[in-house]
Amino acid sequence: MNYSLLSLEILVTLLGVAVLLGDLWIPSSARRLLGYVAATGIGILLTYAVGTAAPPDGTAFGGMFVVDALSNYFKGFFLLSALVVVLLTIGSSESISGYAEYCALILFATVGMLFAASANDFVLMFVALELITVTFFILVSYSRNRSGSLEAGVKYLIMGALASGFMVFGIALIFGSAGTTQFYEIAARQTELGRSPVFLIGLLLTLVGLGFKIAAVPFQMWAPDVYQGAPATTTAFLATGSKAAGFALLLRVAFSAVPDITAHWSRLILGLGVVTLLYGSLCAIPQRSVKRLMGYSSIANAGYLLLGVAAVSLNGSTAVLTYLGGYIFTVLAGFAVIAVVTAQSNSDDVSAFAGLGQRSPLLATGLTVSLVSLAGIPPLAGFFGKFLLLKSIAAHAGSERLYLVALLAACVGVVISLYYYFGVVRAMFWPRTVADLTPIPVDGPTRLALGICLIGVLYLGVFPNALVQGAKQAAAGLVPQTAIAAQPVHAVHH
Amino acid sequence: MPEFTDLLFYAFAGLTLLCGFLCVANPLSRNPVTSAMFLVLTIISMAGLFVLLHAFFLAAVQVLVYAGAVMVLFLFVIMLLNIKEEERRKMNIAAVGVGAVAVATLAGILVRALWHATPLATTATVEGSTRTLGRILFTRYLLPFEVLSVLLLVAMVGVILLSRKELK
Repeated sequence: MNYSLLSLEILVTLLGVAVLLGDLWIPSSARRLLGYVAATGIGILLTYAVGTAAPPDGTAFGGMFVVDALSNYFKGFFLLSALVVVLLTIGSSESISGYAEYCALILFATVGMLFAASANDFVLMFVALELITVTFFILVSYSRNRSGSLEAGVKYLIMGALASGFMVFGIALIFGSAGTTQFYEIAARQTELGRSPVFLIGLLLTLVGLGFKIAAVPFQMWAPDVYQGAPATTTAFLATGSKAAGFALLLRVAFSAVPDITAHWSRLILGLGVVTLLYGSLCAIPQRSVKRLMGYSSIANAGYLLLGVAAVSLNGSTAVLTYLGGYIFTVLAGFAVIAVVTAQSNSDDVSAFAGLGQRSPLLATGLTVSLVSLAGIPPLAGFFGKFLLLKSIAAHAGSERLYLVALLAACVGVVISLYYYFGVVRAMFWPRTVADLTPIPVDGPTRLALGICLIGVLYLGVFPNALVQGAKQAAAGLVPQTAIAAQPVHAVHH
Repeated sequence: MPEFTDLLFYAFAGLTLLCGFLCVANPLSRNPVTSAMFLVLTIISMAGLFVLLHAFFLAAVQVLVYAGAVMVLFLFVIMLLNIKEEERRKMNIAAVGVGAVAVATLAGILVRALWHATPLATTATVEGSTRTLGRILFTRYLLPFEVLSVLLLVAMVGVILLSRKELK
């Protein structure tokens, strides 16, 4: 067996253990060194993972673990968000009690995400998701002196345990009816399995678990509370890594394991997407807390992404991947600013951001670029993904009315999002009341993290070709080997 | 002349029923903790029944997971809620009605299943012995098993972090 396929996962695990153990020998005054070690390690692995040294395509453990264009695409983004999140924590390493453990837990959550990107089996998928979720239970409740953080942790624990329960029950039903949990083996028998109600119920329950991870309606109720209560750096990782891992698995289950059933269920996914994006957009309007606003915005974005899945086409999957790529840079930039401002003012209310344009032009520019990109305005990274997504939906809109409705709903959602994103921008540059105008200091690692994200947002906005090509390649690998000959990738199912 | 295993079966089955009854309708005590303890006894008696069926692994897991981990969770919930209030509460007609319907349905399914069942002439071998389970865990499912070790490490670190006194 080719163990080198797992080199990335093994190295990140070892890095996590090293950081955990390093805490024993490093004096508490030099704790931030561990943050630098973790960031450097991830940085090296990131260049290794996206460079030419990436492990070649292949499968290990009897097809359970797969390395292909899709897994490599996601792994790059998981490592990137881990890198940015670790960089953001270095500045506050003195104030976080148990800083070494915080870094190590971020690395272990990253391991879960890396496994999720390569999971080609329901059992490995479940274990990887649990590794991510359990780590986040701890990361969310890390600020133990704030009751909001503990409340968020308990809520996430209860909802997460419930979702895991649904998912493991679904996997049991799938195994019971199919006799296997491996995606390719299920794909080979999906016409026969598609007639088994037990299998379909199992699949539906598995989707409940994934719906929880991506915060899609009706499994979204945890997102606003947890986003608001968790430490800002945790929220940043939750909004990018954890959500992207959910979509990596959703895409793989939908198009690698059961493509025919997905085509059959496309209207269900489309409906969920429309409801999710409208719910997120409408509920974001009255929010005063910026972190809570990002929570609802994250729900709305899950809705857009589900529309791309519901398109059931190569273009749809490419759009989902492109969107996620831009979204990760954008959201990380936003949370980099939110982390600094909330730490400075001990509040995540919009009023804490008032006058940010004068207090710190760098932070204000960062958050503005992030929000404008989230709203999907042309020269930034958020635009191209949204454009491709709507295009993939529009391809079906002529022949089916439901897709036309979804297209209109998405446009309405974009218009609403302009309103609430620009509410924050207005508060930063044109505050109603004269706020505290003392400058906010920004430390070096945070500047670096913000710089990486902003360059990413601008670069991907102006030159999206490389990202779209990568996304297209990754999406093309989704179709199972056995199905390529029988079923053209571009086929539209009705 | 009944065999020794038969006697054991009747003993465990009787204990299961008795403790199960005392768990939900104890005439002497209405304390939820007492009920939880009787639930532990019910689960252990059921583990005995599994042993008689040669399902040794299932019996061990029954004791470890249900009598151990799940019951600790139950006790936590009981202690977090107000026990005194629960003790004072009177029988609820609606609850009795729902319970009766549930029991009748389950009994119906059981009787129907037994009615249609044909006893096997030979004893069937039980699948999922500890040996086969261990073998499959260390071959086909080795990777998830190894990932679980990272998960356990994370859980351990998390428990220590969240339960310790504030450190500087």
